Amino acid sequence: MKFLLSILGVFVLIFALVAFPLAIEIMGGELSIDFSVMLDLTKAYLGGIFTGESFHYKEGVDRNPNFFATIPDYLLTSFLYLAVAIILAIVISLLISAWFSRSRKEWMKDIIGFFGMVPDFIMVLFLQLGAVFFYQTTGLRLARIATRGVDEHAILLPLITLTIVPTIYLIRSLSERTYDVLTDDYILTAKAKGLRKIYIFVQHVIRNVLPYLKADLHKVIAILMSNLFIVEYLFNISGLAGFLFNTGEYQFNLTTNILITLVVLYIVLYWFIRLFIACLERIFAHD
Amino acid sequence: MINWRLGLGVILTGLLVLVAIFGPMLAPYEEDYVKPSGYYYNSNDDFGVISNPTPPSSEHIFGTDQYGYDILTLLLYGAKYTLLVGLLVALVIVIGGLLGLINGIRSKNEKVGSSFGLLGSIPAFIIIYFVMVGIVVNSSLTMIDLIILQSVLMTIVGIPGVYAAVFSKTKELKKNLYITASHSLGARSFRIAWKHLLPHLKGTLMVMFVKEIILVLSLIGQLGIFNIFLGGTILRLGGEGVYLSVTHDWAGLIGQWRSFVYDYQWVLLYPLLAFVLVIFSFYILSRGIELKDKHGFKKYPHI
Repeated sequence: MKFLLSILGVFVLIFALVAFPLAIEIMGGELSIDFSVMLDLTKAYLGGIFTGESFHYKEGVDRNPNFFATIPDYLLTSFLYLAVAIILAIVISLLISAWFSRSRKEWMKDIIGFFGMVPDFIMVLFLQLGAVFFYQTTGLRLARIATRGVDEHAILLPLITLTIVPTIYLIRSLSERTYDVLTDDYILTAKAKGLRKIYIFVQHVIRNVLPYLKADLHKVIAILMSNLFIVEYLFNISGLAGFLFNTGEYQFNLTTNILITLVVLYIVLYWFIRLFIACLERIFAHD
Repeated sequence: MINWRLGLGVILTGLLVLVAIFGPMLAPYEEDYVKPSGYYYNSNDDFGVISNPTPPSSEHIFGTDQYGYDILTLLLYGAKYTLLVGLLVALVIVIGGLLGLINGIRSKNEKVGSSFGLLGSIPAFIIIYFVMVGIVVNSSLTMIDLIILQSVLMTIVGIPGVYAAVFSKTKELKKNLYITASHSLGARSFRIAWKHLLPHLKGTLMVMFVKEIILVLSLIGQLGIFNIFLGGTILRLGGEGVYLSVTHDWAGLIGQWRSFVYDYQWVLLYPLLAFVLVIFSFYILSRGIELKDKHGFKKYPHI
């Protein structure tokens, strides 16, 4: 029931948002919103679902492709970038937070925290500038700073950007959790039994941190989704978010469809990561 | 140990505020000064073209952009918009988040926070983007109107996060016995909030406020990447569309010059560095406050 409500809420939000630019009117410094336009557009879209009208969009001057024929490529591209990034983020942050939680060095926290606060677009632009600068001084091509055409994909820099932000978020939240777990009595018992540190980490610490990872998952994916827009736009990646801003003229149906597909991407990604965590649990938390 | 982070943070943010206030007076050129381009001819060996953008020199410390505007001047003129809006919006957001304090005391259910679930799939700046995209470009609304509109939107988008954080923190503090004692003595929720919880939360709220400034600035920056500039976007058509910021706020400058990656990098680099400096100042300030506030129960790991 709650799930249905939240789906309904997202749909209402999407329709209202996409219709908004078409429903406003600015006349001589006065802003007015015409809500009937919003309703009409939504009605037309809903009516068009049955005729298939809502799933065609205009491309260029006279092409009228079907949305379902073109979207899987975009969806797959976005999904692959996100999935690789989030798996890297989880693995790296589990490893680092095990060590970081014991660290009492405030300057390490300073650096990690600062990288967590730097906005994604700043990171992207600095990486691009850095790659160009490196090429201009040494003549070596480190990484592509934008995707060009269909075969020359920028991979390294987008993945770095997409990985850093969730990694740092996870390091900060998981290292707190790891610290809490480390103070618990069963760790003391394990230590008193003479078990090795690495064994205690694998058998007791990680499995007790994983539930917190699961609880944080929505937040992490939300952060990633917001990064995705910036990364795809600035690296010219033809994923869903890149598609959203490269549609040429503003088309209500197309934009709505893309946003709905983004919600689908969110759900697919969420369950994919749940699967990944379930695999981790098989490894670390089997009894 | 001396809290150097707090000191550095206060000095840097103080300097930034001074720049924001006195920026236009310090600027070496007028806001609309354009470096003329043309030819020069001194002798047969000494001639050439003066064109923009010109690299950083003693005349133009940060160089000029493609039209010949002095970058330092634009930064100094734009500083006040970036900082003022960041400060004010963050302040309103934190005050709005205080509702979480009152609600946290009153509500009986133990469930902490509320999950927005699928709404996470639509990022905050996309919401603002769609609202603003039809309004901000070549708008007939005044600059002030546009700034206020965007500020209100950013406030609405920002409050839920702070609210949830304050709410859960309040729930946690409420378990303390002195709250129960005060409550059974007949104190109302406002008194509990004012006398018992706020002193505890003061440090956290300060940190939240400073971090919220950074978040608001990032939001302005992300919108700037998509040509939604604070205070209005000028779209010049005729050929490829060119988007320019009306107010020259720093995020807008980064947005309008974001494609200077391949060449003439100084045009993009200096606004970026300025923006990072702002983020750094507020960050180090928040760390300073955080460390100052850090006391109370500490746990130690066994291994």
